[in-house]
Amino acid sequence: MARATRLSSRIDFLLFIGCVIVALVTLVLPLQMREPLAEVLRRSVVAPLVNLQSNAERWHTAWQLSEERTARLDSAVMRGFNSVALQSENDQLRKLLGLGARVRTGFVPAEAVHNAVREDVVTTLTLTAGTRAGIKVYSPVVSPEGVVGLVQTADPSISIAILFSHPDFRASAMSGDGSSFGIVYPHLQQGLGGTGEYLLELRGVPFRTTLSAGTMIYTSGLGGTFPRGIPIGVVLREMKTAEGWTRTYLLQPSVNPAKVNSVMVLIPQRSPQRMDNVWQMVARVDSATRGVVNGADSVARHAVADSVKRAAADSAQRAPTARPAAPTSASARADSTPRRAPVAAPADTTARPRRANTDSARPVRPVRRDSTRRDSLRRDSSIRRDTTRPDTTTRRR
Amino acid sequence: MNWNAVRTAVICAILIVLHYTVRPLLAWNASIDFLIIALMFGAVRMRPGLAALFGLALGLVSDSLSPGAFGAAALGMSIVGFGASWLKAVFFADNLALNGFFIFLGKWTFDLIFVLVGHRMHGAELFMQIIVWSSLSAAITAVAGVLAVALLRPLMEVRTA
Repeated sequence: MARATRLSSRIDFLLFIGCVIVALVTLVLPLQMREPLAEVLRRSVVAPLVNLQSNAERWHTAWQLSEERTARLDSAVMRGFNSVALQSENDQLRKLLGLGARVRTGFVPAEAVHNAVREDVVTTLTLTAGTRAGIKVYSPVVSPEGVVGLVQTADPSISIAILFSHPDFRASAMSGDGSSFGIVYPHLQQGLGGTGEYLLELRGVPFRTTLSAGTMIYTSGLGGTFPRGIPIGVVLREMKTAEGWTRTYLLQPSVNPAKVNSVMVLIPQRSPQRMDNVWQMVARVDSATRGVVNGADSVARHAVADSVKRAAADSAQRAPTARPAAPTSASARADSTPRRAPVAAPADTTARPRRANTDSARPVRPVRRDSTRRDSLRRDSSIRRDTTRPDTTTRRR
Repeated sequence: MNWNAVRTAVICAILIVLHYTVRPLLAWNASIDFLIIALMFGAVRMRPGLAALFGLALGLVSDSLSPGAFGAAALGMSIVGFGASWLKAVFFADNLALNGFFIFLGKWTFDLIFVLVGHRMHGAELFMQIIVWSSLSAAITAVAGVLAVALLRPLMEVRTA
């Protein structure tokens, strides 16, 4: 029994040694001999396993790809959201920069931090600038669109402002032409088709003056808190009130408090100064730009028209030498008639400002005047020149 | 007909198939080596000489897909198979924790032989592979092996010396 066991142990050991030798031989085989051996195995025993492995790897790759695609899609959607938010912030900051350039001095830029507690009607804002920056209580808070509110509490590094929607907000106001004055209050009654949250009331307007819908209302500068000329809102309609001697109007504010992110706080030294032109200047600059472009167009057209006319005039002057029988007066008339043709051009220039007029309602006037003057002056002079020439030729005769 | 041998063969075949299907799906840096589990599982149920032959066969199958180190896995698995079978016959009882350690040791030894004989790495990289990655892979393989043994225990009987 023990002998048999010893024998089997020897056989096992010999087998093991044989296996080790085979493995070592395969290890030291040259590559040219190894590769055919591996290939035989791959094509026979290992082939189904290789198929299984390749399928598993394909599944794994497909899984990874789908995960990558999902991640890419998610990040693309995220970028899309971010870009929209960034664009609107960029627009706001640009407007604020423009306002800063117009106001020039006496303001502190600040970021408006909305309250963490969600409010249906936003009434206060926390500003990221305080007394260290020169802000004091009752400093006016404005945005590129107009009045936002005023500072109620000023700490060294932050300040809290009440908005025009706050029950305590009041501002002395006037119509754009300065014909009627009143006091602006927040419109606290809810409703009005769901848009009444941020409406204002212009109270105390004398009964004799009426304001039509669409009239712009500005701060009047009375009271010394807000400088004169900051837009507050637009008249929507007159409100029915119990008072018979004054009128009350409902206003649509220029600023939406929920969308205010960056503001400017006017320091007290700036308040007494008028700001009439600051907010109106934007519209004027826009229309002036349009006017310049229009003017450049018309100048170019007239230059072309003049050159054509000159060429026609030259050819007409040469024509009598070829046909001496033709009367000079006739040539002069023929000459003068095409040169009068540009007289029709003013219709063109009048048409242009009309187009500009539809773009911006008020500020187009000066532009129209400019372009008309330039155009008409040139045309007139060209006409005069043309008309004088034939006359002189006639006199010479 | 020896049903025990048939069952062992079937389970080894399943483990080999798992090696070529589950492992690529997981694609871990320290992955489960189902071939080693199959080898250990079979080796403890056969004579040492046969276990060495089984290891050689499995090693050649494995080597055929990596001709650069052709023979290294065959050598490693022959040694591990023979050692597992011999040690099991001499020392071990049927204990799960011991089986786990056994598989860990087998996998780590195989990796050591494979890396050293295959001349694939040198210096710090070799050190990292042996100490970190091989140990991790051996641990994960041991866990998977213990699970497999625990699941299949009712079906199998262990050969005693």
